[in-house]
Formats: sequence, C-alpha cells, structure tokens
Amino acid sequence: MSDKFENDLREHLHHEAEEIREFPRRLRGRIREGIAPRARPRMAPQLALAGALVLVAVAVLAVRNPQVITVVVSPIKNLLQPSPSPTPQPFACSDRSGGTTGLLGQLTAIRVAHHAEAPGFDRMVFDFSSGIPSYDLIRQESSTFVRDASGQSVTLAGSTGIKLIFRDTDVQGVPDDQKPNLPAVREIENIGNFERVLSYGIGLSSSQCVRVLELSNPSRLVVDVTTSTSASASPAPTPLPTVPEATDLGPFSCQDRGGGSETSPAMRLTDVRVAHQAAGYDRIVFQFAPPVGASAHLPAYTVSRQASTKFVKDPSGLEVTMRGSSGLRIVFHGASGADSYTKSRDITPGLPVVQEVEQLGDFEAVLSWGAGLSRPSCIRTLELSNPTRLVIDVQTP
Amino acid sequence: MLMDPALGRVIERCRDGDRDAFEEVVDRYGLQLLRTARLILRDQALAEDAVQETFLRAWQRIGSLRDEDPGPWLNRIAMNESISAYRRRHRFQALTERFGRLSGGKREVSSEAHLDLAHAFDQLSAEQRAAIALHYYQDLSVEDTAKALRVPVDTMKSRLKTALRRLRDLTGSEEISA
Repeated sequence: MSDKFENDLREHLHHEAEEIREFPRRLRGRIREGIAPRARPRMAPQLALAGALVLVAVAVLAVRNPQVITVVVSPIKNLLQPSPSPTPQPFACSDRSGGTTGLLGQLTAIRVAHHAEAPGFDRMVFDFSSGIPSYDLIRQESSTFVRDASGQSVTLAGSTGIKLIFRDTDVQGVPDDQKPNLPAVREIENIGNFERVLSYGIGLSSSQCVRVLELSNPSRLVVDVTTSTSASASPAPTPLPTVPEATDLGPFSCQDRGGGSETSPAMRLTDVRVAHQAAGYDRIVFQFAPPVGASAHLPAYTVSRQASTKFVKDPSGLEVTMRGSSGLRIVFHGASGADSYTKSRDITPGLPVVQEVEQLGDFEAVLSWGAGLSRPSCIRTLELSNPTRLVIDVQTP
Repeated sequence: MLMDPALGRVIERCRDGDRDAFEEVVDRYGLQLLRTARLILRDQALAEDAVQETFLRAWQRIGSLRDEDPGPWLNRIAMNESISAYRRRHRFQALTERFGRLSGGKREVSSEAHLDLAHAFDQLSAEQRAAIALHYYQDLSVEDTAKALRVPVDTMKSRLKTALRRLRDLTGSEEISA
C-alpha cells in the first residue's frame, strides 16, 4: 500500500517529468537522419574524376611497360577478394581467446548452419563491420548461464554450453535469441550487452570440441562445433575440467555463479585471503563487515569465468593483464573497500591455479576483482556468515 | 503483452523498412522515454542522446521484435542506454575528481541535512533512479520494472525498498508502518 511519501514521490516525478512538454523537434530530426539511408557523398563527382585520371595514367604506363598491370592489379585483387574459406584445422577441446585488443567492434549478424561433410560440424559465423574485437570463448558443462549484469540465470536448449564474450563491442540488428536446433548448436542467446561487453550463451547438445577461425573481408569469427565424438583430430585434446565428486561443501561447477542480495547500505570489504587447500582447491575469500548500525548481509555478486587474463579496470577503462592463462571476474553490487580495506590490492600468491588476485574497480558501490588462473578450472562458491564472507574455491589438478 | 492490430501493422511496416512508420513509433513512445531518461540522467542533453541512441538501436533491431507491445522492449533499450550513459559520465567525473581538477558531481550531504525530493533524488544511483522512475512515474508493476531493468523480481523489490528508504532518510520523512 502506498503511503503519503510514496504519493508525494509519484506526484513529484510526474511534475518534474512534465517539464518536458513535447518531444523536441530537433531530436526527432536527429533520429530521422540516423535512420535515413546514407546519402551519396558530395565529393562523388570529384572522386570519379580522380579515379578516371588514375585509370588513364595506369593505361599510359601499361602501354609503355605491360608489367605495370600486374603490379597494380594484384593488390587490388587482394583487397577486394574475401579471405579464403577456412582450411580444415584440428578441433580442440579447450577454451579460446583472441581478436584485437582495444578495437571497437560492431557485431552485425550471427549465422548458423550444419556442415555434413566429414568431420560433421555446426558452424556459427559472427560478422563484424570492421575487425574482430577481443573475445573469450569458454566451454562449460551445462547450458545454464548467468546474465550480465543482472546475475539472473538463464537455461538454454541443450545440455552443455559455450560462453562467448566480446569486449568493446556493440551489436546491431542481431536477434537476441536464435534456436537453430542443429545437431550440436541448439540455441544462441544474448546474455549480456552492458558497457560494451557483449556476451552470448550457446546451448549445445553435447559435444564441446571447437575450432575457431578469424577471417577478414568481411571480418568474421567462425566457431565450428563438432557433431561427432570422432571428429576431434586434435593431437592432445584438453578435456573440459572434470567435476570432482561432491563433498560436504557442495559440488564444483564449470559455470558462472551468482548470489547474495542487493541491500542498502553498502557492505565494507575488510579482507581478501588466498590459500591452497590440500583437499584439491585454491580458496579465495572476500570478507565483509556492515557499516556501524547496519545489519550484515552478503552483497549481490557474480563470479564469471573467462578464457584470458585480460580485464578492464573500472572506472578508468584501462586494460590489465594478470598472471596465468584464464581468469575469473568477481563483481559485487552494493559493496566497497575504499575506506575499509587496507591490504594489498594486487595479490600474487603463486598457488597451483590461482596466480594473481587484483582489484579491478571500486566505484559507486560496485566492487570488482579479477583472478588470473594457470588453467581453466571449475569453481564452487560458499556464502558464510559471522563474519560475512564469499568463499570461491577453484579446483586444482 | 500483445499489440493492438493497428500498432501491429505499423511495426510490420517498420520491419519492411518503412521509415515513416518508424516515425509513428517515435511519436507514440518518444516523449515518455525522454521524460524517463531525463529523470534518470538529470540532464536534458544526455537524456536526448540516450533516447536518440535508443531509437536508432530499435530501428536496427526491429526485426527481432516479436508480436508484442514495443513499449516494454523500447523501455529495456532506453534503460540500458541511460544507465550506461550515466556511468560513462560519472567515470570521467570520478577520475577528474580523484586528481582534484573538478569538484562537481554527486554531492555528499550530511545526515542531518534534509533535502527536498528533487535533491534527494539526485543522491540515488542511476539504477535506483531507473527503478523509481519506472515504478512511480511510468506506474509499471514491480515485475515489469524488473523485466525492463533485467534483474530478478526479488532484487527489484529490494532495490525499490532501499531507494525509498534512502529518499526518506534524506528528506527526513517518517516511514509509516503497516
């Protein structure tokens, strides 16, 4: 039931909003311009004339020296021809990363099709307007994903999955959800598009061995997923991290995790500890305390796996590369360590898997840390109280 | 939510690339989106940029809109744009403040000071303002507000409660227990 304060708030918001009496004509004009087809450039006649002059010059030179034609034509052919179709490469059962760091990408289409020729595979093609941005491809043992940045879970068709993350990337005209129901690729859904980090969850029927090709003209990332178990021709395929047996502390899982609650006031980070446990895991502990007079709770969090150790700092946007070959990104909403955490913000414990743990951001009650891992690993999270802690166990070999 | 048939025909024309039809969509939803973005961003120019970007994205993605009312879909895009725009601007402010070059940005207020609602609203985070604007200005249910901001319903309940409590604290209003 609304009380007087809520009614006052409602009235205030309407009053403030209605200060804008009509939709500005200039804004309507800007939108009209934005959706209009691109006009022919005014320089077209001049460019055409310049082109004609170049052709005449080349023709004159060619008459004098025929070799000129080869010199001129071959780079143009290279420029116009799309890069060749992908040549067969071995499939590998491992996470992948690549692309160009710092490049602003624009995803324009996702195409999916089955290729029956041996070895059978399903092909996903991610088209970009210019260049392939930095990306991570992470395999996981279930088709449940955690949405960025809400932390909400979503389960796609299939029984296993791949998470594909593009950094510095925007998307245009691509459906949020596709269900091709191919032998391997069952569903592709946008699971995050926030602050230029674009994530897709891909639900697979079972197989997770992949090959990744970066092609140009046009720029596209090709991800092939095997449809038969015999298709893996990789000399030493790395299996998906095995899930150890459940213990009293609960099972490990090779997928992203989320939990906690977004409750005010922001909790204060007081400690970060990292240690190896002989039971077969490295443990990272984030410990919190409530502000004076407030009750304790674990802030809302997400723990996301990634296939590289590159992270983006918040709020600077600067890229940082940690030790190791893959990573975890841990984000708390409603938490800060600015006034409460006094220890190192870059810990390098050199454990079997956890190589580095570093703070990535502490801004507007969004606290983020990253962990550099020596190998892709399954994780387990535990929410503990007295004191309030988030425990992240990272499986070791 | 299903579309009324007339609106359905407009959207169908948009899918066929009819820009005049899309301008009808802009006319229908633009003002409310702009007002909501202005409530969140507290800045007219930024709000206009966010709404412009919202409609450009909507035009590019119109093919992915299913047979549903485009209002909630546009709201989702607009909220994402508004919150991202707010965070971009405040990242810059935070950096410049850190180096002592600028003293603007969010003002800290002492717990004793009681502000009016407008100034108290300025003190909320962009996510809280978005929740309050959708729920109390657009009169969306908690469930629809959660969908627009892509968070679980329980998180939204908690976010609204937290934001209200902060507004009450800042304005010195007493909470009336049920």
